[in-house]
Amino acid sequence: MILTIEGLTKVYGALRVVDDVSFTVPSGDIVGVIGPNGAGKSTLFSLVTGFLDAAKGQVNLDRKPIGSLSPVERARSGMVRTFQVPREFSHLTVWQNLMAATPKQSGESLTNLFFRPGRIREEEDMNSQKVDAMLDFLRLSHVAHTPAGRLSGGQKKLVELGRALMTGARLILLDEPFAGVNPVLIEEIAERIRELNAQGIGFLIIEHDLGALTRLVSTLHVMDRGRLIASGVPAEVLANKQVREAYLGGTS
Amino acid sequence: MTAYAELMIGGLMSGLVVGLAALAITLVFGIARFANAATGDTMTAGAYVALSVSGATGSVIVGGLVGALAGAAIGVVVYFLIFRKLAGRSSVANLLASIGVAFIIRAIVGVIFEHQQQVFQLPLVRPWRILDIRVQPSDLNLAIVAVLTLATVFLILYATPVGRRMRAVADDPGLARISGISPTRVMIALWALAGSVSAVAGVMYGIKTVVTPEMGWDMLLPAFAAAILGGIGHPVGAICAGILLGTIQEMATPFVGFTYKLAISFVVLLIVLLVRPSGLFGRNEGAR
Repeated sequence: MILTIEGLTKVYGALRVVDDVSFTVPSGDIVGVIGPNGAGKSTLFSLVTGFLDAAKGQVNLDRKPIGSLSPVERARSGMVRTFQVPREFSHLTVWQNLMAATPKQSGESLTNLFFRPGRIREEEDMNSQKVDAMLDFLRLSHVAHTPAGRLSGGQKKLVELGRALMTGARLILLDEPFAGVNPVLIEEIAERIRELNAQGIGFLIIEHDLGALTRLVSTLHVMDRGRLIASGVPAEVLANKQVREAYLGGTS
Repeated sequence: MTAYAELMIGGLMSGLVVGLAALAITLVFGIARFANAATGDTMTAGAYVALSVSGATGSVIVGGLVGALAGAAIGVVVYFLIFRKLAGRSSVANLLASIGVAFIIRAIVGVIFEHQQQVFQLPLVRPWRILDIRVQPSDLNLAIVAVLTLATVFLILYATPVGRRMRAVADDPGLARISGISPTRVMIALWALAGSVSAVAGVMYGIKTVVTPEMGWDMLLPAFAAAILGGIGHPVGAICAGILLGTIQEMATPFVGFTYKLAISFVVLLIVLLVRPSGLFGRNEGAR
């Protein structure tokens, strides 16, 4: 699943929050976007996922423009986002969170419930096995039956990842997956992302924190005041003088 | 003492009716996010359908089942015609629309079934005497119906895929949508469920008292009170609060008189809300 962004622009009054940004997330790649606070990273995400409308520019998924699709339709076509402050169905257990996101359930309809209970049971068993395997993979099995609202921030980020994967997403957009997560869990999350990527799932990751991200991504884009100021392999980008001034304030 | 025991049984019965109506209100509130004033008139319509079907077939059970199905159908039709189009509007807009829906349902009921009060034709049965307390066998049957209805609703909510998705939408509608949960499917299930629960409450109320076009509308205020008392959006709370209010009302009657019994339940409501603003079971706004 290839994501192409062309000349994306968002204006609030006189402020160009996102200014003519273009880049591509090749199929099955991990691409990162960094930048100081207020650089326009989150706005860029909302434009790509359809939560905000762009003033100018185009978003293409597998070379087809998706600018007219709603966030739901974009999610259905295989591109799912997570949130900077993780969102979960807080009163549902972790297991139920993932089960709820499994697509195409005939148990969605009340009439099926009464007239085709056998088929629903079969589907439930099948989906439940998938969810169990996913929880196992995410190392969340021990909290499977805990209400998701009670988890730690880092665990919630894993639940978000799991829910995105259960919907059948092929490209996952992570909004600051490492923010507010303890260092041990950061490595865990990074490791899961690598393993999923090895299975062909693409990632576009926004981060404020550089450490874990630079080791994860193949391409790094730097935003500052709405514009893309540098792109390339992480080592090169971080050596760039303009980047160091904008992002690191000139110090090493 | 026996008189109080009999009042308490009466209170439990009317409490179950109020509790079921409050359950229907709280389900809609938790997921569609507005107070549905058409709940009462859906009760009335269910009662009338049950009354005429049981008159035609001679079976109150068949009548009740058809009444419940009619309630579900009304819920789904009203959703498609009105509330689907108002999705995303403010809860006040939806509440006002539901008051309009209530009037329309009542008018249709009046046209079809006319305005005289009617009663369910039930065989007269001698009450049982248990420890000198009179117990109507029909009360026991109605209590069983109420318990079965509750069991079905809670099974659907907590043990089926559609219930899981309903609770997911109640929890975070935006997140549900981008997790691929179809809001329309969930809403159809919700309205069918709430409609049939309302209708069962209406049938029970009709069997206990009389069937009139205003019966459901008159139940709306106590039902809202129970939904709020239980913690809005909380199904178990709605039932418990309904039973609590029903029992307190009936037990208070000898002291305050028939006229003021409704006021008593609002006094209880006020006291509870002063101590616990989110209701008996509520933890925060929204549903679970």
